[in-house]
Amino acid sequence: MSGTAKVWVVWNGQAASTGGAAAKAEGHSMESKRQVTVESSPLQGEAYSSLPRDGAGLNGAGLNGHRPQVLDQDRFHDASERILGSINKVIDGKADAAKLALTVLLAQGHLLLEDVPGVGKTLLAKTLARTVDCTVSRIQFTPDLLPSDVTGVSIYNQSSRQFEFRPGAVFANIVIGDEINRASAKTQSALLECMEEHQVTVDGHSYQLGLPFMVVATQNPIEMEGTYPLPEAQRDRFMARISMGYPDKEAEIEMLETHQATSPLAQVTPVVTASDVAAMIATVQQVHVSTAIKEYTVAIGRATRDSARLRLGASPRSLLQLLRAAKATAALDGRDFVLPDDVVDVAESVLAHRIILDRKAASSGDTPQSVLRGILASLPVAQDPPGAWRRDRHAV
Amino acid sequence: MTTTSHRNSPASNPAGGTPGRKQPTAPSRLRTAGPGPYPWVMAGSISVAVLGSGLSLNGVLRGWAWFMPLITTVLVVSLTLAALRALRAQPLLATLGSFVSLAAVLTFTFCRQDSLAGFIPTTGTFTAVGRLIKRAAETVVSESAPVAPNAGIVFVVCACLGLLVILIDALAVPLSMPAASGIGILAVMVVPATIKPQSVGLAGFLGAAVGYLLILGCSHWFAPDARLQSGAGRGAGQFRRSMVTGGLALALTMVVPLAIPGFETGTFPEGSRLSPWGTSNGLNPMITLGNSLRSPTGSGRITYATSSSAPLYLRSVTIDHFDGETWAPDDRTAQRRAGADRIETGYAVQGEVVNAVTSVSAGQFTSPYLPAPFAPASVNGLNGRWTWDPDTLSIMSTETTTRAQRYVVFSAAPKVTAAALAQATAPPRSISDDFLRVPGNLPDIVRQTADSVTAPAGNNNYAKALAIQKYLRSGAFTYSLQAPVQNGYDGNGLSVLADFLTVKSGYCVHFSSAMAVMARAEGIPSRIAVGYAPGRLTGESVALVGQGSFPEYEVDARDAHAWPELYFEGLGWVPFEPTPSRGVVPDYATESSVAGNLSTNTDEKETLTTPAPVATAPVPIPEVGTPAAGSPGVNPLPAIAAAAAGVLLLVAFLCSPRLSRIALRRRRLSVKPRDDTDDLPPGFKDPAPELAWAELQDLASDYGVPSTSSETPRHFSSRLRSSAALGESGGLDDAAHQAVASLTADFERQRYARLAVAARAAAPRIAVVRESLRNNARWLVRFRADWLPPSMMRRWARALGAPFRAVGALGKAVGWGAVRGWRSLSGVLPQRR
Repeated sequence: MSGTAKVWVVWNGQAASTGGAAAKAEGHSMESKRQVTVESSPLQGEAYSSLPRDGAGLNGAGLNGHRPQVLDQDRFHDASERILGSINKVIDGKADAAKLALTVLLAQGHLLLEDVPGVGKTLLAKTLARTVDCTVSRIQFTPDLLPSDVTGVSIYNQSSRQFEFRPGAVFANIVIGDEINRASAKTQSALLECMEEHQVTVDGHSYQLGLPFMVVATQNPIEMEGTYPLPEAQRDRFMARISMGYPDKEAEIEMLETHQATSPLAQVTPVVTASDVAAMIATVQQVHVSTAIKEYTVAIGRATRDSARLRLGASPRSLLQLLRAAKATAALDGRDFVLPDDVVDVAESVLAHRIILDRKAASSGDTPQSVLRGILASLPVAQDPPGAWRRDRHAV
Repeated sequence: MTTTSHRNSPASNPAGGTPGRKQPTAPSRLRTAGPGPYPWVMAGSISVAVLGSGLSLNGVLRGWAWFMPLITTVLVVSLTLAALRALRAQPLLATLGSFVSLAAVLTFTFCRQDSLAGFIPTTGTFTAVGRLIKRAAETVVSESAPVAPNAGIVFVVCACLGLLVILIDALAVPLSMPAASGIGILAVMVVPATIKPQSVGLAGFLGAAVGYLLILGCSHWFAPDARLQSGAGRGAGQFRRSMVTGGLALALTMVVPLAIPGFETGTFPEGSRLSPWGTSNGLNPMITLGNSLRSPTGSGRITYATSSSAPLYLRSVTIDHFDGETWAPDDRTAQRRAGADRIETGYAVQGEVVNAVTSVSAGQFTSPYLPAPFAPASVNGLNGRWTWDPDTLSIMSTETTTRAQRYVVFSAAPKVTAAALAQATAPPRSISDDFLRVPGNLPDIVRQTADSVTAPAGNNNYAKALAIQKYLRSGAFTYSLQAPVQNGYDGNGLSVLADFLTVKSGYCVHFSSAMAVMARAEGIPSRIAVGYAPGRLTGESVALVGQGSFPEYEVDARDAHAWPELYFEGLGWVPFEPTPSRGVVPDYATESSVAGNLSTNTDEKETLTTPAPVATAPVPIPEVGTPAAGSPGVNPLPAIAAAAAGVLLLVAFLCSPRLSRIALRRRRLSVKPRDDTDDLPPGFKDPAPELAWAELQDLASDYGVPSTSSETPRHFSSRLRSSAALGESGGLDDAAHQAVASLTADFERQRYARLAVAARAAAPRIAVVRESLRNNARWLVRFRADWLPPSMMRRWARALGAPFRAVGALGKAVGWGAVRGWRSLSGVLPQRR
């Protein structure tokens, strides 16, 4: 860990920069004159300095070079319960979606919420962002949104006679990309680097993004008017895709009762700090993955690639993300090791949006979900089937 | 029948419109072409199949003369069917027409005189058919294969195979079950398989197989369904499947007989022929004699001790009735007399009489005829009612058998010397003319041989008999039990005789009947005696009442023998021995005795009377057949031991699933979890939870909740807990639920966690789960789990299937390799285009 690492992370309201070289700067408002709107409380001005490309501060590093503390089980459970409880207070009847969103956050992935308008995609994203005490920016994607609006731009400062970097909307802990498939492909792909490498490169300078960093994108189904489908490469960068679905009857009635007068978001207060989240992430990273689980994960990936009903199987990156999501699931379940059940739980959400059906399978009514379910139902969990003699070999 | 036929047989579509609609590929062509060659090809295939399987009947029926009418019948019936199909007759009509044609062709072939216009059956035809069937039944009952192809038998064969053609056709065409037509073909082959010692034979098998394949191929090729699917149906997968199936069947056929021991005893030992009367108590002893001689172990052991100074021939029955087809015993029930304690010959004997007393123990030998030395004067000690025939002196009973009889025979044979025989030139007076009867259709070769052989002997009957015997015992003839079977003349009819004189190889039945017939042809009364050649000394001695102690002899089925007896006026019936290397040639019948050597080898040591005619050299009888000396059933210990071992094996077999299941459980649960985790090597995993988990899975699958390989331990555990097998949680079975949960947790931790934490011992928890499963299961499930645990059965099935899977995988790999090699080769080769 380089001592010169200068990671600037700004939390809502208070600076939590602990790095020695941290310096507070004037706040730059992220309010765009055009389409970019940053809804959260304005960022306290801080200068984003370019970062040496040694990757410090990201991998395994917590906040500002300090390894975040690993939480014990009780505290982890406590924190996760607080987050989930807070979300569930706002969004009725979507506990699964909430849990998956938290899973993705803890697994350091990005979340794609896909559904028809008006089922609470943005609400879920916002609630998750507000529950955690961290910076949030929201980008409303429109066809004329420019890449520089997302990443930031260097502006010539006449007083100091040099270029200054004005960070874009992506410089936040949680970035809500609303209706991401309405933007042009160029702008969509501007997110690619940020999402995968947690850094922004403008004019040859790379700027490190904060931790935690999570993009929560929402999109309408591609049949909707004025949408550009996300390219496969970008879809592959989202760890999981959730379809919200309509709430059930009771939840909908309750929603009508409680949310008439006030916005539910108004009551949401942060329940955990960003450092808590970082510690939780570190805890998730400590979850043990046995060889059997790795074999099982790889077997799933190979099965999708070998399947006759799929044109495109799961990529190695998707398997990596599958395993990370499984680790987060295990941690949320209060375990320090991954079970096959964890992998199975998240497999559909993690893999379904990456695989592409064969034309024949698509025309016969298969969905990626159903194909995945079929693969999981036929794939042996343990490599030696039950009833084989092999298992008893070391008994004697 | 009619409803299904429209779909599958173009021949049965009256208008050809239906196939047109069902085959959009070529409707116009079919409509104009009609059924095309299909009926004719199918008829040809069926004919080939039936005639091919009929080939195997050679050996059941003698020669090939019967095959011509068979060909006629089969061809007429199948061509009728084909013609009716080609004319688009209704399927039912076609079948009816075939019946009519079968009746016509049978009438034409067999009952032409009794019918109208040669082929239309009348009432007279039916009586003729009745006669034929009766004749066939008699042949079946009284003869052994190969039987002479008389009209009755050939009629039955033709009728059966004609019906078979109709049956196969009905199965293959209107019912569209061509594969089932194999049943009919098998039905034909069952007959030779059970009757002929060499079973079906290559020709019959090949013929039947080729015909069957033709039927299958024909229906596959012409059936409209198959033509519709021709793109997909005849793909590489199908070929591979059929190759794998065929290869597997072939491999099984070659492997399984190696594993199954041949059965040499019992009702049907290997190579035995079906005889409804058992092996040694036949209605016609001539028929069963060959079987007895061929039997690998000598059964029906008889022991006897005699005061006669030489080993005796034991005589069961005489065969004197020769109707031209076969020799058969003539029971003459009318003139049989009751009471065997006093037996008188029906003819006068001059000169000395040799008396002997013989004690016989029949043991397991079972026959209605009593074996006794010739000529019995009285038999004592018999159980049951026995009768005797004054003409033949055969003693038989209609209500009991020889089984377990012990009796003493006083016999008095006339002292026969060569000189006396030479002088006995008087024509026979005191016996029936039956013994001289020769059928009119005696083959020329028999009469010619008899004449040429006896020509030098002049007019003396004795010299003639000696000449015939000398001829048969000459080096030109060989003794063989197998030659008659292989050459298809194993029997005793006239044509058999002709074959025997041509091939010059056979066994006692052939030699004795040859001599008997030739003697009759030369005017000497003759008959055949069936019984036992002198046997072997057992080494023990038996005391006869009032006679002292005599050595004991034994004979069994392998000593079964037949020899001719010729009648000489004044001396009575005199036995001869024409069979080379068997039995003992009597003194008077040796060549030297003709020269006037009147002295017999008298041995007056302890005989009570004048000496009997003894053999020139009482050498041990050369054994024929296998050298299995010990007769089974004498020593009961091995049988008891074998039975006990069999029972033990059976019990062990029945118990083995349960026992191995228990052993497996013990072994799994005996592994104790490690308590001290400190001194363990890194990466060590305690096997105990895994074994306990395997046991839990097997336990669940025994009680009807099998695990699948694609479910996670947690999922399996929750499925088990929610199933009815474990009862309800929170109730009586709560302990079991908790045990399952903790076993699952242990296993998950052991398998997936970083450190295997020392677990509690699994045995008590497994016991709790098992108890709960047992209590909630019905008795049938409990019984199955105890005695045929499904988990164990699955293991064994896997183990048994392993070689086949390996073969399959190997075949697949080889096949793929070949395909790949061919592809790369065809890529390298220059393309024609």
